[in-house]
Parts: sequence; C-alpha cells; structure tokens
Amino acid sequence: MLNLIKTWKELSAKGIMGINRRNADFVLKLNRRDLYPVVDDKILTKERAIAAGIHVPELYGIIETEKEAQKLGEILANHKDFVIKPAQGAGGDGIIVIADRYEGRYKSVSGKIIGHEELEHHISSILSGLYSLGGHRDRVLIEYRVTPDPIFKSISYEGVPDIRIIVLMGYPVMAMLRLPTRQSGGKANLHQGAIGVGVDLATGLTLKGTWLNNKITKHPDTATEVSGVQLPDWDGFMKLAAGCYELCGLGYIGVDMVLDQDKGPLILELNARPGLNIQIANDAGLTTRANIVEAHLAELAKKGITETPEERMRFAQEHFGHITQAE
Amino acid sequence: MRSANTHLKFLVALLVSLGLAITAYQIFVIGIPVTEDATDNLWTVDTKVEFQAQTGKPVKVNMFVPPMTENYVSLNESFISNNYGVSVQRDNGNRSLTWSARRAKGNQTLYYRLVLSKRYGSDTPEAKGSIERAPLPVEGAEKIAAEALLSPIRQHSADIETFVRETIRRVNRAGDDNVALLLGGDKSIERKVQVIDLLLSLARIPMEQVRTIKLVEINSQEPELWLRSFNGEKWLYFNPESGQQGLPADRLIWWFGANELVSLEGGKNAKVTFSLNSNQLNAIRVAKMSDEKAEASFLEYSLYGLPLSTQQTYKIMIMIPIGVLVILILRNLIGIQTLGTFTPVLIALAFRETQVGFGIILFTFITALGLSLRSYLEHLKLQMLPRLSIVLTFVVVIIAVISLFSHKLGLERGLAIALFPMVILTMTIERLSITWEERGGTQTFKVAVGTIIAASLAHMLMTIPELVYFVFTFPAVLLILVGFMLAMGRYRGYRLTELFRFKAMLKDS
Repeated sequence: MLNLIKTWKELSAKGIMGINRRNADFVLKLNRRDLYPVVDDKILTKERAIAAGIHVPELYGIIETEKEAQKLGEILANHKDFVIKPAQGAGGDGIIVIADRYEGRYKSVSGKIIGHEELEHHISSILSGLYSLGGHRDRVLIEYRVTPDPIFKSISYEGVPDIRIIVLMGYPVMAMLRLPTRQSGGKANLHQGAIGVGVDLATGLTLKGTWLNNKITKHPDTATEVSGVQLPDWDGFMKLAAGCYELCGLGYIGVDMVLDQDKGPLILELNARPGLNIQIANDAGLTTRANIVEAHLAELAKKGITETPEERMRFAQEHFGHITQAE
Repeated sequence: MRSANTHLKFLVALLVSLGLAITAYQIFVIGIPVTEDATDNLWTVDTKVEFQAQTGKPVKVNMFVPPMTENYVSLNESFISNNYGVSVQRDNGNRSLTWSARRAKGNQTLYYRLVLSKRYGSDTPEAKGSIERAPLPVEGAEKIAAEALLSPIRQHSADIETFVRETIRRVNRAGDDNVALLLGGDKSIERKVQVIDLLLSLARIPMEQVRTIKLVEINSQEPELWLRSFNGEKWLYFNPESGQQGLPADRLIWWFGANELVSLEGGKNAKVTFSLNSNQLNAIRVAKMSDEKAEASFLEYSLYGLPLSTQQTYKIMIMIPIGVLVILILRNLIGIQTLGTFTPVLIALAFRETQVGFGIILFTFITALGLSLRSYLEHLKLQMLPRLSIVLTFVVVIIAVISLFSHKLGLERGLAIALFPMVILTMTIERLSITWEERGGTQTFKVAVGTIIAASLAHMLMTIPELVYFVFTFPAVLLILVGFMLAMGRYRGYRLTELFRFKAMLKDS
C-alpha cells in the first residue's frame, strides 16, 4: 500500500498522464464530439488534408457502392502498386497492400497472388461493414502505397514503421517512432506488440524504446540498438503534425505519419484518443509538457496572438527538445 | 472551465447534503430503523376476567383498558367474549370497555387482548391536569396529626415535586406516631395512598392515582399503584412506597383514579389476571402496523407504499445504481477493463437467477462456445450481421440443450436460465466478438475476465440483504451516490493498474 502511494507520488512528480486525466482534461475538454468523424473516417481526413495542403498518400479512388466496385479496374489501370483500406477500419484490419502485378493478377507484399475477383469480393466485404466498428456500411479507399525509407531497414522487422506525434492545440508535445515486430504481425500498434521509440522533438534523434510497457534499448527481432537513429526531414514531420490542428479542429490528437522514400513525410491518420505509452518511450510525462503549452497559450491569449504552425513547432522544439539521455 | 468546476462542486455538495439530510430525517426524526434486523419488542397483554354470573340477571362488566396515550402504541386489540356485546368508551383520560349480556349462567371467562409496541407512538401531548384542589375534610385527632406532619414537610420542601417526595417518605417511615394514627393500623399500600392523598390535599396539591402494568413476562401480576401530580407543566409520577420519582419505561398505564379495575353487575367473585408475552418483530413491520393504526403515515410515500410484488421488482431495480457504482470504481479507480458499463451489471442481475458459481461456469462455457463458433465462421468470410445472427441462434440452441439435459439429470439449476440471462448472454458474446475484431484475442480475454470479476462483485454487493434494505428504505442515498459519481466524472488521478503500467518509468531514474 505504502509502495503504491510512493509510486503514485513519483509518477505525478514526473508529470505522467493517466487515462483519467487524459480523458477529463484533454480528450473531453478539447475534442469536440461532432468533429470526430474527421479523424474516424480516413477519406474525410484525407480530403481535409488535401484541401489544407498537407501531405498525404495520394488518393487513387473511392468506392462507395457495390456498383462502383466495377470501376476498380479503371482506378487501378495506371498503378502497379496500391493499398486498399476501409475508411473506418480499426487496428489495421481489412487493409490489403498490393506490391506488384503478376500475369493479370495482383501480388501482395507478402508474396500472395490475388485475383481480380478476389479483390472485388474484399471490396464488397468492406462496403458491407465487415471491418468497420459496429458493422456500419463503409467506404473503400484506394491509395498510394508507401515505401518506407531505407533508414528503417535496420531497426524494423517488417511492415511500415510510422511516427506518431501528440499534438496539443497545435503544439507537438511528444513524438514516437513505432516499429512493427514479429509479434505485432507487421502492425505498428503498441498494444499488439509493436515497439515505441521516443524521438527528440528538436533533432529527430531516436531515444530509448518501450515494448509491452517495458523499457528496451534493442529491437527484439533484429537486436539492433533503437536509439541514436537520425530520422530524416524531421522538421517536415513536425510541421505536418503542427498543421493538423487547423485540419481537424481537435485540440488533443495523435498524428500518425510515415516517411516515404520518394515523397517524404506523409500523414496516414489522426487519432482522437492517442495512447499513453508514448510516455514510457520518451521517459517523460505528458502532463508536464501539456502544462507548459497551456501556460504559453494563456500568455498568448492575454496578448491576443495566435501562432502559426511554424511558430508552434519552434516553441515545442525549444521547450521539449534537446534531451540528453543518461546512458 | 473554472465556472464549470464550481458548478460541479456545488452540485455535488447539494446532492450529497440533500441525500444525507433526507436520510438523517428518515432515521432520526421519523425513526425508521437503520437495519432490517432492528427488532422491537412486541407485547401481548392478555387480560382474563373471570366471574360467576347470577342466573336470571343481565350481566354488565366494566373494565378499564389502557388509554394508550403515552409511549406505547396499540397495534391490535381484541375482545374474546361469546354472547357478550362489547363497547369501548373514554372518559376523563381513561378508557374502559363494557361487556354486557342479557343473561349468563355459571362461570364466565372474558378475554381482552392488547398487542402493543413501544416505538413509533407519536408524541401526543398529555392532557393537562388541574393545579387547584380543595382540602379533604378531616377532623379531630387526625387533623392535628396531619398538620403536625405537614409542617416539617413544608420546611423540607421547595416545590410540588419535593413536597410530594417528602410526604411519601414520611408516610412510609415506620415509628412515626402521627403516621400510625392516620394509617389506623392498616399498612396496606392503598391506605398509605389515602393518607398521602389527605396530606397533599391539605397542602392543596393535586394528586391522582395511576395503575400500571409492568411489561415483563410473568404470568400473574397485580396492577401497580403509582401517584401522579401535575405541577403546572407536566405530570410527575411517584411510587407511593419508595418515593421514587418518574415512571420506569417498562410501565404501561392502565387507568387513572381510585376506582377498581373491574366493576361487575349481575355477577360476583370477579377475578382479573394479566399475562404478558413478548415477541420480537421485524422493526419495519412494526412500523408499518403502527402506521396503519396511526393514520398519519410516514411510509405511505416511501417505496413501501407499493404493492408487494412491485416492491420485489424495485428491490432489484434500486440496487442497479450500486452495481453501476462498482463498475465505475473498478474501471476508473482500479483500471479493470470491462465490456462497456452496463453489461457487467446486467450479468450481475442474471446471476440472481443462476447463482454466482453456476452462473460463472455457464457464462464462461456458453461464451467460449459462442466465440469458438465465431472464430470458425471467420474462415467462411461472412459478413458481420449474418455472422452474429448465426452466433445468437447457436447460443439459444446451446441454452436449450443445457436446460434439457439438466432437466433430464434432475438438476433444476439449468432451467434457471430464463429469457433475461439469455438475452444478456447473446449480447455479451456479440460485444466480445466485436472486441475480438477490434482489439485481438488477448485483449478480449482480459476484458472477459474483468467483466466476470466486475459482475460477481456487483452481484455480491447488490444482494447483501442489509444493503438492499437500507437503499430500499432510504432511497435518498442514491443522491449521495450520484454526487460521488459526479465527482468521479472529474477524477484525474491515476488508476491502480496505471501505477503498475508506468512503473518501468521509475526504475532507473
């Protein structure tokens, strides 16, 4: 019991955010319920992002009805590789990634050969709500296939590593690189077993990692050190993330991005209830950082200034960056 | 945000204090017992009147019965008397009943039964007595003796209370010549009372005789004689022998005045015996019984005013917030994951019908079967709705089979799965399979275990009879509950599980 009280005190001294605080002070306070569809529906997110000039994987086509499924061939005519996604899917279910064509058929990233009819059946499953939450009718999204930058080859097992940045009122407060593992089955979801690696907001250098709530320093599959990797075009990521506040209007979001080897940082999706394990990866508390941002916002509000995404990025890098890690 | 916080604090304070105030009012002012086990002594006083009727003459028996004006309340009165007409009348603070018959023969036995309880008697203000009185006529030697007694009494007393006490003390003192003269050799209590009465009358102090019955379980007792005097504010009671002041709590006043208990016309050898009996009765039932008698009803607007069968339903319903509270605490304070908020409570309700142990086995078994069917159907690539429909149908079939088997085996338990638990089961499976879809198998297992724990805990709490009684009798505690829930709505502290989850962060720093 005493031990627990001690843990409690230490955690709160460190500014670690718990679920209750996240929900009460951030999600409920800053995220308007009526804006949720913008982040829940990947098509809506993409449309908004394109309108705001924010980089996203190029949209090849949308299929909304069974009848439109016949247009599939037309949509795919000019693309060798692509991704098929349910607009409102969760946890990466229902996503098919086609890497190549093979004698009139399609070849997935894992090497499986898929026929055209099979693809059409998959699309009609998505439409009927097989992968959407609660079984609602859904839409199908066909988009550009991201090729992860080779920088991740050494520290990633398979799948596409992504970068999550928590953005509070437009200010990036914490970042994490998520690396799929064998256990996570190529998915970059922490609760499915992916690794989270903290990222220095100022430099884009990776810090230590977290795996299943523990601190780690090496990738469990490749045994390479996860810290000290320089993420390319880090300011590009930060700018993208900071701009997402204007995009969706939600005050507390997790922005998921990927680094494409040709197109650079791209936004994959937004999350209105980002997880808290990012704190373990960064060895830092979200509450502490959020308080700094809120104090800054209050000061700005007094002066009647609003900052641009660029200024917000600078503020974040100045206050939360340049972490010297104890070895 | 600040104003919202103040608003919330105000609301919480309002609800909690309102709930506390109403409950306190019910407990302390109305006097509703806090636990169902609080029992009251329920006294049954049987008064048997025996006499020999004189043949050929009409019989009239007049007997005093308790006026029931003070701390006791009569729950039931009955007059057992064949062929006698009964009437009850009040006069001068007394209540008496008259049995009458045109003719009677031989030994007669009449019964008067009074069932009474101590609590819940509303405080009826006692009738005021007179403070004036004229001296009783007395002459000669007796007058001189009385006056000789009175002067030291006057000296040793300050007011009516002390005067009466002093008088009683002196009259009971052996060896006083004046007292001996006044008593005239008769040392019975009645005679003493007469002397006390005489002395007090000379001092113009009013005095009245009171006959009481002691509430103890003995089979024969005589009414005990007490005195009372009105001092202008209240009645003071005195024991004429010991001078003890104040009527003990176990005395029931039967009648006032010097008259005999029974007056008989057309008969002789009247004999009265009292027998008393006490038994314990559930306090709330006593309250209800006295309520019916008293007409002013404090229980009428409570849930006890509902018909009995409806009460049973409400006894279950009113516990649902308690169950929800358990889930709230488990989820937001402890951090256990459950299937939604209401599902564990519903499962807890279903446990009422199946019992916990059997319920858990049954739920686990059926849910496991349902989920394995679901994962088999996964391979067939069915759409969500048809797949769920199949699972639900399957569940119904399993339940039917279980019921059939257990019936054949002579286990009545299996039949306990009525419609309600079945609906909850199918719902649980549906929700679990959605969780499976969204969060994977491990997560589903965690959630399922959490749900079972939460449901069992909620069930245990919701079926504690004392708690059920308390919430049902004092529904205002639900306001306090809402206050707590409101406060929980802005709780930002860590959950217990988070302390473990983030423990790794503290290790090397």
